[in-house]
Amino acid sequence: MPILAMLAVMLSVATILITWSVMGGFLKTLVNSGRSLIGDVTVSWPNVGFAYYDELIVMLEDDEMIDGATPIIETFGLIQLPDDRIELVTIKGIDPVSYDRVTNYTDTIWWKPIDEPTAKDRDGSDVRLDPQFTGAMAMFESNAVTLTRLNPESGQTERAGVLGVEVTGLNIRTEDGIYDPRANGFRALPDGRIERVPGFMPAGGSVGLTVLSLDSTGKPVDPVTRTIPIANEFQSGIYEIDKSTIFVPLEIMQEMLRLNEARKVQLVENPFATEVDPVTGLRRPKMSEVVGIDPARVTTVLVRSVDGAELQEVRDRVYQIYQDFEAKHHGEVPSSFSMENQIRTWEDLNATMINAVKKETGLVLFIFGIVSFTSVFLVLAIFWSMISEKTKDIGILRALGASTTGVAWLWIRYGTAIGLIGATMGTAAGYAVVININAIHDWIGRTFNLVIWDPRTYYFIEIPSEVDPDKAIIVFIVGVLTCVLGSLIPAFRSARMDPVKALRFE
Amino acid sequence: MMTPQSKQTPQSKQTSQNRQTPQNRQPILQVKGIRKTYHLGRVKVPVLHGVDMTVRHKEWITILGASGSGKSTLMHIIGGLDRPDKYPEDPASIVYGDRVITDMGAAALNAYRSTEVGFVFQFYHLLPELDILQNICIGSMIRYGRFGYRSKRKGVEARAKELLDRFGLSDRIKHRPAELSGGERQRVAIARALINEPAILLADEPTGNLDLKTGESILDVLAELRESGGLTMVMVTHDERIAARADRVIRLIDGRVVEQTGVGSV
Ligand SMILES: Nc1ncnc2c1ncn2[C@@H]1O[C@H](COP(=O)(O)OP(=O)(O)O)[C@@H](O)[C@H]1O
Ligand SMILES: [Mg+2]
Repeated sequence: MPILAMLAVMLSVATILITWSVMGGFLKTLVNSGRSLIGDVTVSWPNVGFAYYDELIVMLEDDEMIDGATPIIETFGLIQLPDDRIELVTIKGIDPVSYDRVTNYTDTIWWKPIDEPTAKDRDGSDVRLDPQFTGAMAMFESNAVTLTRLNPESGQTERAGVLGVEVTGLNIRTEDGIYDPRANGFRALPDGRIERVPGFMPAGGSVGLTVLSLDSTGKPVDPVTRTIPIANEFQSGIYEIDKSTIFVPLEIMQEMLRLNEARKVQLVENPFATEVDPVTGLRRPKMSEVVGIDPARVTTVLVRSVDGAELQEVRDRVYQIYQDFEAKHHGEVPSSFSMENQIRTWEDLNATMINAVKKETGLVLFIFGIVSFTSVFLVLAIFWSMISEKTKDIGILRALGASTTGVAWLWIRYGTAIGLIGATMGTAAGYAVVININAIHDWIGRTFNLVIWDPRTYYFIEIPSEVDPDKAIIVFIVGVLTCVLGSLIPAFRSARMDPVKALRFE
Repeated sequence: MMTPQSKQTPQSKQTSQNRQTPQNRQPILQVKGIRKTYHLGRVKVPVLHGVDMTVRHKEWITILGASGSGKSTLMHIIGGLDRPDKYPEDPASIVYGDRVITDMGAAALNAYRSTEVGFVFQFYHLLPELDILQNICIGSMIRYGRFGYRSKRKGVEARAKELLDRFGLSDRIKHRPAELSGGERQRVAIARALINEPAILLADEPTGNLDLKTGESILDVLAELRESGGLTMVMVTHDERIAARADRVIRLIDGRVVEQTGVGSV
């Protein structure tokens, strides 16, 4: 009987701790990755972008609160994969050097030499560990850092992109948490044959990228397609991003979207207009006139603050700097007024998602809390019947002079002891499950063919597996209280028992 | 060690001057007009109709009555475990020494049960989870409380072992009650009743569950206790032969006491 009560407490403590840790860890990972992918504050003017961003970046980086800033172009496009599949992707035009200062870009690069197996790769089967490939991996890594790739046919270095590791579907994620690249992909031909295409993108693979270029007013007009060689692949750990993002050099995006530097010309309205050629002195049809230079533009500037800076303060500082910047380029860049809402912290940007996860965590905890609250009743029922069983003993103790409170205390102490043991076991069990949750999940997957944590729904490839000590303590205390609470009513019942009846009880 | 005289009980005042027959000694317990009616729903079950009796120091009294005559009820009331019915026009009282048990509050009654009286029951009523030694010491734990008991523990355990030794159970200290025979269990129960050196031992059919021979040996133990320690004993039985061992027999008939003279002891 007492073991049942202990198990009830243990189970509820363990479930709450597991749920809370995983959901809380989920939120934490979400928040952290949000920050490491986009920096602290973004200044963005979508589609058309804004000019003189270099100046803005210099001004930003001059501030002691700001660690770095980088220009990017963010847009959507179609990607044509080696097997001719077409997918919608997020395209990020980046300047890899400054981008790495603001985000953890180089950390996310997947194909690079590593010295030690990753945490879950127990048999060390990661190809990146293979000394045979160290040279190649080092090359892939430096390609990713420069966003270039050597074309072996022409002998020329070409500008290249970095794909999310899940985009092609040709990198098979193993249970060890690593990727096993396929040597080949397949592509169907119209005559019914199948053609092999390179499967490992960094080694000679390329993709087609199609975007809509913009006219001078920022309206998308013509589709533009380019073939982009792939230098490497990256893994951010957020499935949505790894499945549908490509990094390309900033200049390529500027060219494709026509956000690059361009001459501004005065178009000739009248087709019959003429002018004097200053060289020959003869009249000729009037030519369009260059009236100025349209500077290159980007859609976004990402800002990283120095460590420990208050996020909102940084955002306000960035806005201040933007106001100074706008004063210099009045009329040439978006007004400070319109920019007010376009300068946002990563928290604001991810607010919907973060809040959704927070609410979800709250809801799940609430449900499990109620479920666990039933363990109070379980303990109550168990203690009730234990006390019924011990009626005679209670009578004996009373006959030997025990007071009513003394008898009640006995049961409450017993409940506390059971609660302490149950909660300790539950916390330990919960802790053990959480830190091994990925292994357990994989084992369930293998044994029952079940996938509970599908990265497509949960964003992350790995289930968060950290236990916050504060949470563990709270859950432990609640577990003990559950048991104490459950034993309270039966304890009072035992105290109120008539000792004579208790003694006569058979 | 076992002498109740060493305690501040009412009897300690005159044990030395009174070495005559028990009938001449000072009363230790005076019971007057005790009535008890049980209620089974609406049905009243009158059990005791005004019991009067006096127990003297070091006296061995046996209450003899048929089964269901209210002997246990009377014992519970004397032992402070139950209370008699209240009739303001005809007040009942139990006086122990100079204290009125029937007027005591719950805490005082707890203390009375713990230190002044010792209970022995027909069905031993040992705690099955505890070993023999713990079963005996539990009375002291209750008396001194968990923390108070710590400092007393050594002395109490020594006394418990001494009692077990005396009852021939010293090799059973670590056994559980279930591993003991009925007679052995009853001796453990007697040891438990004596651990706090009470003035009165209340034994409710202590041999009722034992065969004749074992029952006799239990009675020998009780007799020996009274001889050596001068314990006052109130014993309940429905068996005439057992009653015969006492100094005095009280008959409980129809909820009233019919007193008899001593059956030739002392
Ligand atoms: N709690 C109770 N409710 C109703 N009747 C009771 C209760 N306890 C005892 N009785 C009755 O009181 C009578 C006396 O019981 P008891 O004192 O145990 O007698 P004895 O010990 O002499 O056999 C019995 O008839 C018994 O059935
Ligand atoms: Mg009885």
